[in-house]
Amino acid sequence: MNTAQRVRKAPIYIALVLLTLISVVPFVWMLATSFKHSSDIYTKVPNLLPLDKQTGEWAATFENYAYVLDIGGLGQAFLNSIYVCVILVPAKLLIDALAAYAFARIPFPGRDKLFVLLLTGMMVPTITLLIPRIHVTQSLGMFDSSWGLIVPNIASVLDIFLLRQFFLSLPVDLEEAARIDGASRMQIFWRIVLPLSKPVLAVVTITSFIFHWNDLVWPLVVLNDPELYTLPLALQQLASTESGRAYYIMAGAALAVIPVIIVLLVFQRRIMQGIAFTGLKT
Amino acid sequence: MASPVVADRPAVTPRPGRRRRPGFGRSDRLVGYLLITPALIYFVVFLLYPAMAALYYSFTDWNLRSPASWVGLQNYSDLLFEDVKFPHFWKSVQVTVQYTLIAVPLTLITALGQALLVNAIRRGSNLFRLLLFLPVVTAEAAVGAIWRWLYDPQYGLINAILGLFGIPKQNWLNTPELVIPALAFIAAWQCGISMIIYLAGLKGIPDSIREAATIDGAGPVQRFWKVVVPMLRPTTFYLVVTGVIAALQVFGLVYVIFSAGGGRSVTGGPEQSGLMYVLHLYLFAFRYDAMGAACAMSFLLFLLIMIVTALQFKFLKQEAA
Repeated sequence: MNTAQRVRKAPIYIALVLLTLISVVPFVWMLATSFKHSSDIYTKVPNLLPLDKQTGEWAATFENYAYVLDIGGLGQAFLNSIYVCVILVPAKLLIDALAAYAFARIPFPGRDKLFVLLLTGMMVPTITLLIPRIHVTQSLGMFDSSWGLIVPNIASVLDIFLLRQFFLSLPVDLEEAARIDGASRMQIFWRIVLPLSKPVLAVVTITSFIFHWNDLVWPLVVLNDPELYTLPLALQQLASTESGRAYYIMAGAALAVIPVIIVLLVFQRRIMQGIAFTGLKT
Repeated sequence: MASPVVADRPAVTPRPGRRRRPGFGRSDRLVGYLLITPALIYFVVFLLYPAMAALYYSFTDWNLRSPASWVGLQNYSDLLFEDVKFPHFWKSVQVTVQYTLIAVPLTLITALGQALLVNAIRRGSNLFRLLLFLPVVTAEAAVGAIWRWLYDPQYGLINAILGLFGIPKQNWLNTPELVIPALAFIAAWQCGISMIIYLAGLKGIPDSIREAATIDGAGPVQRFWKVVVPMLRPTTFYLVVTGVIAALQVFGLVYVIFSAGGGRSVTGGPEQSGLMYVLHLYLFAFRYDAMGAACAMSFLLFLLIMIVTALQFKFLKQEAA
């Protein structure tokens, strides 16, 4: 870059930095608040660092985290969220991938009609399904249990669609060659198709983890027992009961946000690639 | 979210020629059925049945404790015309439409601005893209909690920053006129997905077209309006449709923002100014236990979403013609 170009790019960078600050400052503010002593919260001029109100010296504390993890119930909720995601995400991926492979490669009567039916189902808004789904969950005896969070989410038509599209793009010759060598359908699926599909499997896994880790509405309507609360639900309760104590609430918010940010940092390239054609699930 | 664009791709697999495929016998069919069985059971139990049940219940008087009794179109006519029974139904429609009309354009303009800037630089573009994307992956419970604190009338950051420009303190979430703009601003803050999709759209504009416009003497402003905006039309259209569908269904965020006083009590904000359609539905289902009416509300919303989607297809056909 020569000097003229640099000068021309300068306003672009300045504008970008300003916009990025709008995105990022709320998180900085969240973290700063979460590390402040309760006495340092209410200042005339807001501090973006955990500083002592009187002296202006560094005064960070982990007390708020200790409180919300223990008395606030977020420690238990953190474990509950991990438990649900660890069972749900892989199980869902397996069920979706198996179905997607059959829809992509195995000819059976009625296959394409069934697939179109599935896609039509995607049009129904979640909120329309919500009340009868609760009823079904009750009938299955899973209401107010961790299984009630897992089983009603155990497959996703959108993910089946995405996986099928990817499987269709793989060269079929490879599978036929394996067949000639005597491999069964399942062997082909495990040994050839899945290893070739790592990019799309990663996208589906990550987006599905983020979605279920963040999900508030389904746990809200299915759980009553506070012992079973997932992190977003426990955070909502905390924000409601401790509504005057921003330092607790921000510590709780940080606990919900940080794992997802780590996932985003680690898998950023895959996620960005994925969104361009999936639109993510929001 | 169910993306309406995906449905129009062909669902039929091109078979590789007519030649006999090696060795997959009749049992192959059976394997096929077996593989789709778990997904199919899920589909029937948690999608197909609930969709039909919701339609049925919308014609009944029903709560989760007693059996449903058929009332025909009563729920629908009560919702639309009985403002004694549902005093806030039309208010919730109005709030939701207002929110949609502000939030969707604001989100798309922000997203396009971000995308244009990120697209214009090389060094550091990945970092900026990543940071601009952070709000998207944040749980709505956390988003609600963080923004409640940012909008805090006394000690919030927003008022402090506006104070630097001489703007007096506002009680954002407690002033009826300010609630919708405050919520729309949060939506724009979370515009990262639209930004990524716009970025993909920008990358799809061939350099040759831009260069040709430059050679013909178009300045940057002209190039933006005459080349970039028209070329991004399909992207914008897709984002408007998905954005409208999402905005009509906003719930979790307002639930967190307006829940207070402990437990699960929630309001529609000051003078119901934040009473989004789905929040209203939720209150009727879970506070007043009017499940039948709530199902009717959900079907009215479904209908509206179908109309929006149908308009999209009509528009796309016109585009193609």
